[in-house]
Amino acid sequence: MSELLRRFRFALCYFALASLCALGMASQKAPTELGFAPRLVLNLTLPLQRMVTVPVWELRDVWSDYVSLVGVREENERLRGRLARAEEENHQYREAILSSERFQKLSGFRAQRAVPMVPANVIHQDLSAWFQSLIIDQGAAAGIRPGMPVITESGVVGLVAGTTPGASKVLLVVDPQSRVDAYIERTRARGTVRGTSGHDCDFEYVPREENLEQGDVLLTSGLGTTYPKGLVVGRVASVDRKTSGLFLSAKITPAVDFSRLEEVFVILEQRQIPEEESFSSADEGLWPSAPKPGAAPKTAAATPPKPAPAKPAEKKPPVAPATPPASPPAPKPVPVEPAAPPSADPPE
Amino acid sequence: MSALVRLVAIGLALLLTQTVTRLVLPTLVQPDLVLVYALALGLRGGGVQGLVLAFGAGFIEDVLSASPPGLFALLCGTACAATRLLDRALYLRAAAPWAGYVAIYTLANFALVGAAQRMFAPGSEIAWSDLLARAPGAAITTALCAAPLLHIFRRLLVEADRDGSWPVLAAQGPRGRP
Repeated sequence: MSELLRRFRFALCYFALASLCALGMASQKAPTELGFAPRLVLNLTLPLQRMVTVPVWELRDVWSDYVSLVGVREENERLRGRLARAEEENHQYREAILSSERFQKLSGFRAQRAVPMVPANVIHQDLSAWFQSLIIDQGAAAGIRPGMPVITESGVVGLVAGTTPGASKVLLVVDPQSRVDAYIERTRARGTVRGTSGHDCDFEYVPREENLEQGDVLLTSGLGTTYPKGLVVGRVASVDRKTSGLFLSAKITPAVDFSRLEEVFVILEQRQIPEEESFSSADEGLWPSAPKPGAAPKTAAATPPKPAPAKPAEKKPPVAPATPPASPPAPKPVPVEPAAPPSADPPE
Repeated sequence: MSALVRLVAIGLALLLTQTVTRLVLPTLVQPDLVLVYALALGLRGGGVQGLVLAFGAGFIEDVLSASPPGLFALLCGTACAATRLLDRALYLRAAAPWAGYVAIYTLANFALVGAAQRMFAPGSEIAWSDLLARAPGAAITTALCAAPLLHIFRRLLVEADRDGSWPVLAAQGPRGRP
């Protein structure tokens, strides 16, 4: 018997162990807690497994993070290129949208004005730090002459200081050489706007008794030969009431942001002081807002009488400012109100 | 150190190596080194010690995997028993027959996995298509890994026979020593 057992020991062992395995597999119906032997094996082998797997993971990380980054670098460069192209396209689209919005505004502004205007693009800014001018891409060939006013939908830019056939130099209102006769919209107080070579202007020669407040809007008075009446010059930033002297002064923030100026309009109307005999011809011919029919090019620019006394906070319906239609002559010699309320036109 | 201990150490080393191959190689070409170990334990006539080691290696694989408990133990024990039966007939002393045998047995092992699962643990069987897809690659890589291990195993088994830690051969009678 023992000889028989010894002879078939291997087979008996195999069948015994195989039966145990089969029983183990068959008895596993649902996930249960591990028995003693599996737990023991697990506890013994897991540290070994961890010793092996952790370095492998580390090596794999090193490989994936460093060694295999050769291809990633090329891919990264390729993707950077694509991103740059996409950003450039996106930038162009955004620029096109902004340009479209600006041109819509400008075309609406131009349609409001009856005077002939030439649109122009700003192509250069003043190089010196002391003067404020810019160069536009329209010149004498487009009918631009020195002394013509330059404006935007926000307000006064300056005047043409010189021309070539294809370009013009524009002296900005913030240049120290610039003078603009203006009045406060609310109080009708008159004065002179003088550039300071910085980003603002001074409002000078305003009588001390005038009531100026921060935020008051300044409009061109129409006096002189350059600017038509009613264009927005800027807003009062601060008022300096000196202890002595006849006048007060104020700092003015221009209505136009010159650092972001891209498109302007040149008003193709050079106002001239009428000859002396014209003064005696007709009263209404003196008024720039009511030119006499038939005397179109020589629009009146002579000095009108002093503007009407201040009527604070008086709102009137908007009327075309510079050159209203010639057909209905102005009924009485009172300066008309400026066009749209300037406060509704925030600077660009 | 006795040869038996060295055999156990080699088993553990193969187990850990298999862990590494699981992490490094793709699924379709992962070798079954524990199966190689179980097959090698049946060389030179095998014995109860080899059978127990094979079942033990399979058991550890069972514990460290999500297989039905006992599946790999049964497969490894069966592999050891099969090698013991076929060793002399197939002349598994040279690397080429050994590698061929390992490759064929690996293919057969896939079939045994499917059959054992369907027989003993029908709820957790692997689809035949999956087994068929993995079998060829695994057979090739397992055979490639097994070929260089043959010399080591045979040498260790001879040493174990000499130092008495593998005393089965003396008990084998006429079938014992090849």
